[in-house]
Amino acid sequence: MDDRSFTAAQDFLLSAKTFWTTTLYGAVRDSYSEKANHSQDGASDSVEAVAEALEDTTLYQFYAWLERHLQRMKYAGRYGLVPYHEERRREMLEALGHVDTDDRFLELNENLDLPAYYTGVDIHQHPGGVWSDALAGVIYERGARTTTPLLDAAGKDVHERFTDLALAGGSHSNVLDMGCGFGKSTQPFFRRLPDSRIEGVDLAAPCIKLAASLAQKAQSKNVRFRQMNACNTDYANESFDLVTSTMVLHELPPKTLDEFFDEAFRVLSPGGRMVNLDFYCLPDAFRRFIHYGHARRNNESYMGPLAEMDISKLLTSKGFVDVEILPFKETEGVDIDANGSWRFPWTVIAARKPERCGS
Amino acid sequence: MTRETRPPRAEQQFFDDPAIDRIMGAFMALATEHYVLRDRFLALERGLAQSGSINPAALDQEPDESERAESLADRKAFVEALMRPLLGEQDALGVPGKFSLKTTKSEA
Ligand SMILES: C[S@@+](CC[C@H](N)C(=O)[O-])C[C@H]1O[C@@H](n2cnc3c(N)ncnc32)[C@H](O)[C@@H]1O
Repeated sequence: MDDRSFTAAQDFLLSAKTFWTTTLYGAVRDSYSEKANHSQDGASDSVEAVAEALEDTTLYQFYAWLERHLQRMKYAGRYGLVPYHEERRREMLEALGHVDTDDRFLELNENLDLPAYYTGVDIHQHPGGVWSDALAGVIYERGARTTTPLLDAAGKDVHERFTDLALAGGSHSNVLDMGCGFGKSTQPFFRRLPDSRIEGVDLAAPCIKLAASLAQKAQSKNVRFRQMNACNTDYANESFDLVTSTMVLHELPPKTLDEFFDEAFRVLSPGGRMVNLDFYCLPDAFRRFIHYGHARRNNESYMGPLAEMDISKLLTSKGFVDVEILPFKETEGVDIDANGSWRFPWTVIAARKPERCGS
Repeated sequence: MTRETRPPRAEQQFFDDPAIDRIMGAFMALATEHYVLRDRFLALERGLAQSGSINPAALDQEPDESERAESLADRKAFVEALMRPLLGEQDALGVPGKFSLKTTKSEA
């Protein structure tokens, strides 16, 4: 496949996705409002009732089909990201460059046990997931360019905006990014905090290799990426004053999420903050129905369970204080609610470890 | 750790008839291919115009009657191929209609 054809096909799929996000989603939403207005009990407050009203309609069926298959075609099929990179395997791996594992950028662990929840499903329809192939990190990076592409008026993307927020609430001389992927979420921290120590951990070797390669190219000296389970790290107790994660919580089964929060609590120093960005606050049954459907269609098995959990209660039970769960606007300058397009239910989930733990 | 080889799983179904799900797959593949070709075609046109081989303004002009007449046969053949299947007629003679072999065993 030549580069021009690949770009044309991906651009076409993105335009189709934009139509889906705006026009088609709007039509589904309007058709539900209309049905709800005509029904006796008005807009229902249950996912089941929305499903009852929509699932058998042709409009919704096309909506659902396109959500699954536009994403499938982005990754697989003739012009997918996977075959495109596969054809260029050698040059892609060379471009990744050589990252010394002993130069404190990167630490791999070939013997790391990958959990079954992680290997059993190809997350967001990336064939093989983000971990099983040496090219997976590069492919994920390319794919992510069109997943969270929005820039706000100041040219800031989701991760930059999240970093603003995470840094606003306290000290940050030692920062841990749990589930750092290819480092998109870690970059704003190590760029903005040259005097801090930043660590990123992730299960996926291909992702952290890319993360380390990008950090090395940026000549950053304050960051290290380590292949590790975020729920079971080897850091000493109380070694970080800020622990972050972006788009990780929804990938974890409830029991693992429990361990994730325990681990964050353990490695935080007293008074330190944990700040996560994920998908959680769903204002009504319609948005919940859309979100649960998205989870199924996009192979995100634990998105639904996360949205059902009482996170505030869970964090409080673990000893966290100042728990904040707030909707997060991924862009400034666009009135997201008025605009009415499909969007993720971005939510910041933050909490603090008490100053004197256990007292 | 490597990815285990796994048997294919049945694709999710969104329409009442799964045939529509699959036809949509073929349809979107064709639509993508169509756009890839269109993109290449436009790039070719731009290149040819830049080298002076074609006059893009002339290319965009409404064809005159003689040119339309010339292409009529080609257009008819295209429409014929596209629409003929809608009639549901056989091209080579055989048994008509829908058939089932469900009952042949009990009849034997
Ligand atoms: C959607 S990605 C987000 C990556 C990055 N934070 C970002 O925002 O670009 C989720 C990441 O979580 C990682 N992950 C999932 N479970 C994990 C675990 N138990 N420990 C460490 N990383 C995990 C995945 O490998 C993946 O890279």
